[in-house]
Amino acid sequence: MNIIVCVKQVPSSNEVRLDPVTNTIVRDGRAAVINPFDSHALEAALCLRERLGGTVSVLSMGIPACSAMLRDCIARGADRAMLMTDRAFAGADTLATSYALSLGAKKLAPFDLILCGRMAVDGDTAQIGPELAERLDIPHVTDVFDIEPGQDCLFVRRETDDGVERLRVPLPALLTVTRELGNPRLPSITGVLHGEQSEVTVLSAQDANADPDQCGLSGSPTQVTRTFVPQGRGQARSIDGTAAEQAAAIADIIGEVL
Amino acid sequence: MGTAPALIHPMTAEFADYLRDESRTTGTADTISFPRSEADVAGILRSLHPAGMPVTVQGARTGLAAAAVPDGGHVLNLSRMDRVLSLREQDGHFFVTAQPGVVLLNLRKMIASRRFETAGWDEQSLAALEALKDAPEQFFPTDPTETTASIGGMTACNASGARSYLYGPMRRHVTALRGVLADGRVFSLRRGQCFADGLRFRLPLADGSFVEGSLPDYHMPQCKNASGYFIAPGMDLLDLLIGSDGTLAVVTAVELALMPLPNVIWGATCFFPSEQSAAQFTEKVRADMKNIAALEYFDARAMDILREQRAAGGVFARLPDPGGMGAAAIYAELHCASEAEALDGLRTLAALSTAAGGDPGRSWVARTELDRETLTFFRHAVPESVNSLIDKRRQTVPGITKLGSDMSVPDGRLLDVMELYRQTLAEGGFEYATWGHIGDNHLHVNILPRDMAEHARGKELFLRWAREVTAMGGAVSAEHGVGKLKAPFLTVMAGEAAVDGMRRLKRAFDPLWQLGRGNLFSEEDGK
Amino acid sequence: MALLLDTARCVGCGLCVRACAYGALEKTGNGIAIDHEKCVLCASCVQSCPKNALSIERNGSAKADEAAGVWVFAERADALLPVALELTGRARQLADKRGAYVTALLPCGTREDADALIAAGADRIISCPSTYLQTRLDAPYTDWIAGLAKEQKPEILLFGATGFGRSLAPRVAARLGAGLTADCTGLDIDPETGLLLQTRPAFGGNLMATIMSPHHRPQMATVRPGVMPAPVPDASRRGIVEQSPGPDSAGLVELLERQAKKAQSGIAQADIIISAGRGIGPRKNLSLVQQLADRLGAQVGVTRPLVDMGWMGREHQIGQTGTAVAPRLLIAFGVSGAIQHLAGMGGAQTVVAVNTDPDAAIFSAADYRVVADAEEVLQALLQKLG
Repeated sequence: MNIIVCVKQVPSSNEVRLDPVTNTIVRDGRAAVINPFDSHALEAALCLRERLGGTVSVLSMGIPACSAMLRDCIARGADRAMLMTDRAFAGADTLATSYALSLGAKKLAPFDLILCGRMAVDGDTAQIGPELAERLDIPHVTDVFDIEPGQDCLFVRRETDDGVERLRVPLPALLTVTRELGNPRLPSITGVLHGEQSEVTVLSAQDANADPDQCGLSGSPTQVTRTFVPQGRGQARSIDGTAAEQAAAIADIIGEVL
Repeated sequence: MGTAPALIHPMTAEFADYLRDESRTTGTADTISFPRSEADVAGILRSLHPAGMPVTVQGARTGLAAAAVPDGGHVLNLSRMDRVLSLREQDGHFFVTAQPGVVLLNLRKMIASRRFETAGWDEQSLAALEALKDAPEQFFPTDPTETTASIGGMTACNASGARSYLYGPMRRHVTALRGVLADGRVFSLRRGQCFADGLRFRLPLADGSFVEGSLPDYHMPQCKNASGYFIAPGMDLLDLLIGSDGTLAVVTAVELALMPLPNVIWGATCFFPSEQSAAQFTEKVRADMKNIAALEYFDARAMDILREQRAAGGVFARLPDPGGMGAAAIYAELHCASEAEALDGLRTLAALSTAAGGDPGRSWVARTELDRETLTFFRHAVPESVNSLIDKRRQTVPGITKLGSDMSVPDGRLLDVMELYRQTLAEGGFEYATWGHIGDNHLHVNILPRDMAEHARGKELFLRWAREVTAMGGAVSAEHGVGKLKAPFLTVMAGEAAVDGMRRLKRAFDPLWQLGRGNLFSEEDGK
Repeated sequence: MALLLDTARCVGCGLCVRACAYGALEKTGNGIAIDHEKCVLCASCVQSCPKNALSIERNGSAKADEAAGVWVFAERADALLPVALELTGRARQLADKRGAYVTALLPCGTREDADALIAAGADRIISCPSTYLQTRLDAPYTDWIAGLAKEQKPEILLFGATGFGRSLAPRVAARLGAGLTADCTGLDIDPETGLLLQTRPAFGGNLMATIMSPHHRPQMATVRPGVMPAPVPDASRRGIVEQSPGPDSAGLVELLERQAKKAQSGIAQADIIISAGRGIGPRKNLSLVQQLADRLGAQVGVTRPLVDMGWMGREHQIGQTGTAVAPRLLIAFGVSGAIQHLAGMGGAQTVVAVNTDPDAAIFSAADYRVVADAEEVLQALLQKLG
């Protein structure tokens, strides 16, 4: 089975706060890491390859520095890696990102399965998976927590709002996966050294024959017009005293409210 | 001080937790207090002094040697002295002054996020905080396994952790402290300002008086050591207070030197076919590599216990599986300036592992936060798993406890001490698991007794090891401190004469023998 | 297209440097240098600049075509989901500002469903009794909804951010080439241009972002259930019900089995919630929280970290990726108040927060502020309540 795993590099911390003096937003821009949900997808792909044979390719769109993350995927066992990187891809929303990834996936074809994390922790949109599947005209299933191979198909179980569904998915298909599929395996020293020596295939917009109007900012219907730290409600009333006094005051509030 | 009696509460049932610590032993006490400031501490001590009331000092009660378990009298619990008092910058180096109740975990968070509770800080501290925000990321290197330990407790036992292999124990990072004597007098000590004259010392106090006396004529083991007082002719008196196990004074503030966080921190666990092979690897790494911050060992039984826990599910299910990887494992942590240097480090580890009979294809590397957490979890899961295994046995044999050793030996004696452990444990037919800081020749051997007879034999074996380790020039407690549980070992290690000298030293600070009664040694000679 | 710096406005304060997660900005003497190779046009710096010196240059795009009407996807499980009515109520308000009609897409619905949607504000129901829509699967639903939207060109198309809605909406958006904003907590409209102002938590919920889709129609959004108030039904409202042809096939994915979770009275409907975060201390303190909840007939809610650590199931998680709650009373123990969590508890009427950190963000969302150790207060409260 030939599997493509889509991975995204995200900031390691989502911490944001409001600078009290300037009233502007300060983000703690720390080290970049692989989106945790994508690392579960990689683990799922490596487990499937162990059972069925085939290859695991990792695919990402991002800045050139993302190749370090892709080499780390190779260190853990992926066979090859492709990075879509170009100024033309910058500023992409999910629609433009899914377009770029669809071009990468076509370059990596033939494939039987595409795995994505259920969402990226920096955006929380969970849109790339279904949008990419639509662009490739293959079926998709979201929030998958269990994968069983069948004849030319997969039997998957997915989480829904009110329970669990078991589905039969013909291949090729795209799945977005949850953390139940496991943390990524640790690479060995040999794996790390191999990953560092491996080539990451870098694809520009031109290499991918991309339509400039569908890439990056130009291909993104949505625009962020304003970001802000939400206001809390008015000043809270303080309840001081010993734990027992505070508990008594809370008990009174419970009595008042109910 | 008029307020002191108000701070002292009778030892009622609601405070029962404060009669215990992580050693799982229980003591007795009549009263307890939770001071918030040095003035509170001084007031309380002054009010207790005339009656010669015993005082046991507590931090976070995470100690394993029962130093915080009271032996009657008063419990002085410092957990509410939990503020960072100030920050100082000097030539790009940063120094944090913390009250003793500050918890390590919280201190780490404050340093990493560069956010402190700054109410009451002076201008200099606020300026230093601004400088800290623009400086390279800093960290405090002492890393005991129990991150809820308090800074005061870590100072009292000269704590260390995995990274002490490179950065040394707590002692190396304490630059100043403030303290209160049993009679309520206050002092302040800064490194480099107050030395012993040979074996004579004279500690100036804030009121102009002095504590004077002489140090015992005693040579400490030349290895990782947390057993008894730090003693050396001409020593810095600051070092006498660090590691004094709450017996000389109550520490009320500690200044800690921070260090720039290394740019690259990678971990690698290598597996070996035998413990000898792992020990050889350790000696080679120690000789050849300069950027290793930690070298941690796991024996086959420790890994078996982890596999059993992993199979049982729960939180342990996410442990990586060490099955089939080897009979012994070593975790090495690289602290490097660049990724290129760290990659070179991995290459060297691969070569040394191969030379010692290991296979670098069977190893675990952690380069990301998540992977580092996985390997840290693996390491922390070992003692936790052993505890839960013992808890299960206690259901049928309630008297059983884990027997954990904490001894270290000088470089060159690692293979000898491992052979001693292996041979004597096999002779006794014990079940055991070994792990710990092999880089410092400091292994925790844990005997897992199946019945009370084995429990008693295990204790005897530890006493024998204390003698043999002493003969090798080693230390009977390398990091947990002596407390109450290991007091007999200290006498074995230092000898009666030296312990008598330590008693005289304590009496110079604490004539009524109030502080930390039962820690390190008993009050009377020869008991 | 690039990040632009107006050097006349820039004072070199460096706030943008801290805001950049990609290391694309650097302080240089008294100014700022942009490394365009590293910049991904994420606009974090634009928002951080107190002097409005940074901006992102965009190419002009085609004008939105002649789209009209606000559409709502009325999702049904075994019955019409409450979120369908919440969306319809909000759609009514948006349509009124714009002078437009509200259409609800009702697959396989009953007459009662249609009446309920009309009473909630719909002017028109498009129903489709196709057997292919009996099961909630992406392919036939995409065919049906995208087909209708291509033909009738709505200006706005809203989905509930249910599990199915979050799977279906992006598939429809990709087919239509439309912009889609996930998990909105606020929707507003510009009456002149019809631009939908979609507000959602960003950066893991630590920030709110307002998003527009100026040049593409329909403007699509998913909205988390429970965030918008359910409208008071107006039985006097009238609307029309149309039937549309269904999709041509069931698609390739086959539903084999559906297992409902054990019936639980979830936190979404709870009247009282006792919530817990990392600050409650060791795991055993969760049993104190449970005891208090049992004592008050309340539900237990938790923060995302507790779910991630496996302390509680996700059905207890309050927040952007969990459940939005609207209890009469919420008492939070050891909850620090990540914005993503606060976004989920915005509907609570009275909030009491207990936390040791006097600066905890939870206090900004609380009516009562208790700076104290969660365990101590829990113990004392349990004792007090007997």
